[in-house]
Amino acid sequence: MTLWFLRGLRRGVVTTRYPARPDASARNLPTPPAFRPRALTRQTADQLTSICPSGALSRDGDVLRYDVGRCTACGRCAAQAPHAVATSGAWELAARDRSVLIKTIPIRGGA
Amino acid sequence: MTTVAPRAIPGTVTSFQVASADLEEVAKDLAEMRLADMFASTPADGDQATTTLRLVWANDTAGQAGYVVTETPIENGEYPALSDIAPAAFVEECEIYEQFGIRPATGKPLNRMMLPPHADLPTLGRKPRTEPEEIRAAHSVGGHAFEFPFGPVRQVGVESLYYGLVTSGEEVVDVYLFTWHKHRGLEWRLRGKTPEQALFFAERAEGLSAVGVGWALAAAAEAAAGPQVPEKAQRTRAVALELERLYNHAAAMAALCQSTGLSVGQSAAEIALERFLRLNARAFGHRYLFGVIAAGGASRAPDADAIREDLPGAYGEFRRAADALLATNSFVDRLEATGILSIDQARSLGLVGPVARAAGLTADTRQVLGGPYGTTAIVAEGTRGDALARFTVMLAEAAESVRLIGHFLDAGTSAETARLPRASGSGLGWAESPRGEALAWVALDDDGRITRARLRPASARNWRGFDDACRSQNVFTDIPIIEASFWLTAAGMAR
Amino acid sequence: MTEPVTTEEKQLRDTIARQFGRSLHIRTLDTGSCAVCEQEIRLLAAPHYDLHRLGFFFTPAPRHADLLLVTGPMIRAFEVAARKTYDAMPGPKVVVATGACALGGVYPQDPFTYGTVDAVLPVDVWIPGCPPSPLALLHGLGVAVGRLAEKVREVSFTVDDDSERSVSSP
Repeated sequence: MTLWFLRGLRRGVVTTRYPARPDASARNLPTPPAFRPRALTRQTADQLTSICPSGALSRDGDVLRYDVGRCTACGRCAAQAPHAVATSGAWELAARDRSVLIKTIPIRGGA
Repeated sequence: MTTVAPRAIPGTVTSFQVASADLEEVAKDLAEMRLADMFASTPADGDQATTTLRLVWANDTAGQAGYVVTETPIENGEYPALSDIAPAAFVEECEIYEQFGIRPATGKPLNRMMLPPHADLPTLGRKPRTEPEEIRAAHSVGGHAFEFPFGPVRQVGVESLYYGLVTSGEEVVDVYLFTWHKHRGLEWRLRGKTPEQALFFAERAEGLSAVGVGWALAAAAEAAAGPQVPEKAQRTRAVALELERLYNHAAAMAALCQSTGLSVGQSAAEIALERFLRLNARAFGHRYLFGVIAAGGASRAPDADAIREDLPGAYGEFRRAADALLATNSFVDRLEATGILSIDQARSLGLVGPVARAAGLTADTRQVLGGPYGTTAIVAEGTRGDALARFTVMLAEAAESVRLIGHFLDAGTSAETARLPRASGSGLGWAESPRGEALAWVALDDDGRITRARLRPASARNWRGFDDACRSQNVFTDIPIIEASFWLTAAGMAR
Repeated sequence: MTEPVTTEEKQLRDTIARQFGRSLHIRTLDTGSCAVCEQEIRLLAAPHYDLHRLGFFFTPAPRHADLLLVTGPMIRAFEVAARKTYDAMPGPKVVVATGACALGGVYPQDPFTYGTVDAVLPVDVWIPGCPPSPLALLHGLGVAVGRLAEKVREVSFTVDDDSERSVSSP
C-alpha cells in the first residue's frame, strides 16, 4: 500500500471546486444551440425542424419551438444553417419544471 | 447459384448467392472461417413470404483478411441448422426466429433472445407462429444446483441487465443473460432513414462504441452507395476510434479495480479516464466522440495540437496506474485464472476483440486492407484466456493506440465528406471498436434510404462468451471481475 | 415531491431540502440508455468530481435511497422494474430524469419506448444533455436538493444580432 500512498501524495488534488468555483474544463463541453431571430426565416425553421433527429424543434407560425430538454447538441442544425444558429455555451441546464426547458424563438427573418 | 464457395479476397467483401438446398454444403465449406454474423431481411416491397438469409464470414488471417457474404432466399420458413456447423450461430438463429419466423430445419428449441415476453412489438419480418422457449435450450438445473434471477436493476451506476444465475452455493454452474428490457428496436427504427440520419441512432446503439458502430454503419452505406472516403477523413475516423479505445480501456481498468475492491487503483484509473474524456472534448468537441463520423467521411477534424499536448499526460496517468496494478499482488491474484476462455471456445463462439485476442485468436479488423491502418500488424495477443490476459491485451492495445494516433496526426487529418449519391445498393461495413469487430450491413433503395440496416456491435457477439467464462471453477465474486474484463454493454447486445 | 399546498407542507419540504442538502443517498435507474449516461454518473464518485465532498452518496438499496437518478427513454419492457424500484424507496423521495433520452428526445413514443421517464414515474428535476457531463449532473443534483439555483430559466437561447452578445450562463 505504501506504493499507492506515496503516488497519491505526489499526484496532488485533482478534484474540481465546482460548484463553489467555476471549472475550466466546462469550456470544452458541447452545449445546445442558440438561434438568431433575424436570420431565421420560416423556411429555415422548417429545414431545421426536419433535420433535428431528436424532435427538439418545431415551427408554430412565426415562432420556433425549441425543446432544450430533447436537444443532444449534435450540431446538425448548426451545420444546416450556420448563419442562424450559434452556440449557447450553457451547460447548467437543470430545471424543476419541464416547461422551463421549452423556449420560443421568434422568427424575424421573414418567409 | 453455386455450391463452391469462393475464398475471401483480401481487403474486400465477396458476395454470392447460394440456393437454399446448397446452403449446408457451402456453410461446411466456409466453416474454417469465422462466422461473423447472420441476419435476415424481407424485400422492400413488403412481401413477407420471401425472406433472405445472409451469412457473413470473416477471414482473420493477417495479410489476407476479408469477408464473404452468402445470400440465400428461404423457402418454407426453414433453413439448415447452421449452429451445428458453426455453434456461434445459435444466438442469431434465435434472433432471426423472433423477427422473421424462420427457423433451422432440425426443430430444436430456440430461446427468447431479443424481444421481451408478452409484448406485441413490430418485427422486421413475419412474426413466428409459436413463442420461443423461455429459457436457454442447453441449460438444465439438476442435482444440488438452484437457479435465481438477478437484475435487471443491479448495483449503482451500471446498466440494467438480467442474469439467470445457476449455482450450487458459491460455484457458478451456469449463467445466462437477458437484455430484452433494453431493446429499443434500432434496426426497425432505421428503416426509411438516410445513412446520415441513421448515424445518429447507430452512435447511440452502444454509446461507449459510438465511433466504432458509427464507422461500421457509415462504411456499409459507403459500400452500398459507392463513394470513397477521402484519405484524410479516414485518418480522422481512425484518430477518433483510437481515442475511443483508450478511454474504454481506462474505464475497463477502473471497473476491474472496482470489482476487486481496490478503490485506490480505481481512483487512479478514473483519473486517467477523466483525462482521456477531457482530451476527447478538446480534440473533437464531445467527451464520447459523438458526431465525428459522417456518412462519406468525418464531420469534424481533430484539434491536433490539443491532442499532442494532452495525450502524453493522460496516457502517462494510465500507464502508471496500470504498472502499479500489475505490481499489486492482491489485484493480479484475483485476475489470474479467473474467467478462462480457451482458444477453442473463443473460436467456436466467434468471439472478437480483446476477449478473443486474449484467448489466442488473431482477429483484428484493422488488418483488413483498404482502410487507413495500412498493413501494420497491430494485433496484441495473449494466450491464457483469463481476466489477466484480457487486461494485458488491453494495455498493449492502448500503447499501440497512442502510437497510431501520433502517426495519423502526422499524416494529416481533415473534416471532409464524400457525397453519397442517392442510389440503391447494399454493402457491409466494419470497424474495430474497443470491444472488437463492429459490423453493419445496409440495403438502400433508389432514394438512398435504408430498407434494411443490420447493426452488430461487438457486444452482440461477445456476451455469449461470458457464460462460458463464468462457468465452473468460478465463484460469485468472480462474476464482476469477469464482466469488467469483458467490458461489454447491455445496450450493444439489446439495440 | 409535488408542489406543497399548505404551510405545514412547505415547512416539511424545506426541512427535507435542508436534510437532503447535506446528506443525500442516490439510487440510479437505467431504463434503456446507450450506456454513456451511466459512465458519466459513475464518474461522479471519481477523483475529479468526488460527490462525497458534497454529502452525496450512491446506494444500491432503494430502501436506503432519497433520490432516484433515472436515465434512458423508459423502454416499455422495463416499466415493471422501474415501478418496483420507485415503490421500494420510502418517502420523501426525489426523482431526477437525466439525459436527452429521459427527457423525451432521441426516441419518440412508440411501441418500444414511452420516450420519456415521466410517462411512468413522477419527475421532480430534469437534466438535459447527451450525455449530461458530471459537472451538469452536480448542478442538477444541487438543484434537486435546493442548494443550487436553476439557471436555464433566464437563458433565452437567442443571439442578439445588434450587439452579438450570446445570452448564456457563465
